[in-house]
Amino acid sequence: MSLNMDRVASAFTFKGGMLPMTVMELTSADPEQIRAQLAGKVSQSPAFFQHTPVVLSVEQLDEPHLALERICAVCRAHKLLPVAVRGGTDPVKQSAWALGLGWFPPQEARPRAVEEAPLAADEPQPEVEASPEPAVGRIYRGTVRSGQQVTAPEGDLVVVGAVNPGAEVLAAGSVHVYGPLRGRALGGIHGDRQAGIFCKELHAELLSLAGNYKRLEDIDPRLLNQPVQVQLRDDQLNISSLG
Amino acid sequence: MAKIIVVTSGKGGVGKTTSAAAIATGLALRGNKTVVIDFDVGLRNLDLVMGCERRVVYDLINVIQGEAGLNQALIRDKRTENLHILPASQTRDKEALTAEGVEKVLDTLSREYDFIVCDSPAGIEHGAQLAMYFADEAIVVTNPEVSSVRDSDRILGLLASKTRRAERSEPPVREHLLITRYDPSRVTSGDMLTLEDVREILAINLVGLIPESEAVLRASNQGVPVVHDMDSDAGQAYADTVSRLLGEDVPLRFHEYQKKGLLSRMFGGGRR
Repeated sequence: MSLNMDRVASAFTFKGGMLPMTVMELTSADPEQIRAQLAGKVSQSPAFFQHTPVVLSVEQLDEPHLALERICAVCRAHKLLPVAVRGGTDPVKQSAWALGLGWFPPQEARPRAVEEAPLAADEPQPEVEASPEPAVGRIYRGTVRSGQQVTAPEGDLVVVGAVNPGAEVLAAGSVHVYGPLRGRALGGIHGDRQAGIFCKELHAELLSLAGNYKRLEDIDPRLLNQPVQVQLRDDQLNISSLG
Repeated sequence: MAKIIVVTSGKGGVGKTTSAAAIATGLALRGNKTVVIDFDVGLRNLDLVMGCERRVVYDLINVIQGEAGLNQALIRDKRTENLHILPASQTRDKEALTAEGVEKVLDTLSREYDFIVCDSPAGIEHGAQLAMYFADEAIVVTNPEVSSVRDSDRILGLLASKTRRAERSEPPVREHLLITRYDPSRVTSGDMLTLEDVREILAINLVGLIPESEAVLRASNQGVPVVHDMDSDAGQAYADTVSRLLGEDVPLRFHEYQKKGLLSRMFGGGRR
């Protein structure tokens, strides 16, 4: 790295990363309504509201002006940390920046959620991006090698082959590996807490579901090299043998 | 049309140049018109291993930049008929290596030769990617240790995506695994990964296994590719490798630990 040749050690490096992020799709612009329904959510699954970073999506709202500051305050009061806003008009973008939030352009060609049920659904579901049709998964045949990343942005990922050390497989839904899993596997990357990880031979560097993770070091050695399934239970990754 | 073979690994110091020299020499000894190209611009080594360092005038970069003709830069091997070396530049910036330039050189050589062996630099940067870009076959040199295996795995990923064959959706680059510096006694004692461990992770065809051998260092320092030393285990193992590359079915040797007998211990018949 010729750029780092100066005597001062570099203070940082920029790295690309894909982090699981919860999107809060607003269907109402009324801060009071949001507050009331958030309170209900918190009582249902308090564990989710632990300073969880969220992206506020206002794509489904038609209001040119938004009480963004008040909505953010409501979120913070319920231990959600708005980090960015997605979509909306120019004034919305400006006020997001003024509040120190990032702004993302609206997602294009995304099936709009037609789900009628408002935020207070009967099940705790941070995954608000539910699409009406069953999400299309992805099937990958062959070895996922070190440095490669295979992603299923919607639905499940099925790998027919090995995932080698240094490789990364990600899915919005579950990750299935019909072979040894030696790299990193991340399921539920948009926050789907029902997602699981399944593999024929566990030797993963990292397992993650909806942002909760376990490193290889944290895995019970008796489960290594076994066929297993991984599920999220009380915010803990539960690994059980399939053998 | 020549077959273009890249010798690559990701990790440095695993024996790419030694292997490129030995395999190119082996191919030529079997009667194939062969040229071996050093892609390691700035860290030229192949000329030393091939023992022609005193005869380098022009290099690959000179040819690419039009400062010399290809025939001026090619060095004829003194020991082996049918073998030529195209050295790398030791002084020029490696950015001077362009895809168009390399393609032109390879196209021209392709008409004359049966095999073009490309000795890749370590790493996964520009030079390494160019060395593999035009390849038909790849020999991935791996030591039986975890870091080397991981880097080879990375290279295999690049071979499947960053080559001309991949970009044109042609049949993929044929990948061969060459395990070098294999020491059966250290494998038995658990210091080294076993042959099976390496094969299981990389999951590609094994083309050869070269035992750790004093003959390799001696050959490098003398500038005589180790295949010329057919008394040595490494020389024989490279000869086997060449045979397999040419499609012959040769049983694997030197992968099992031979306990030293009393006689060899008494007379010091160490590994050559």
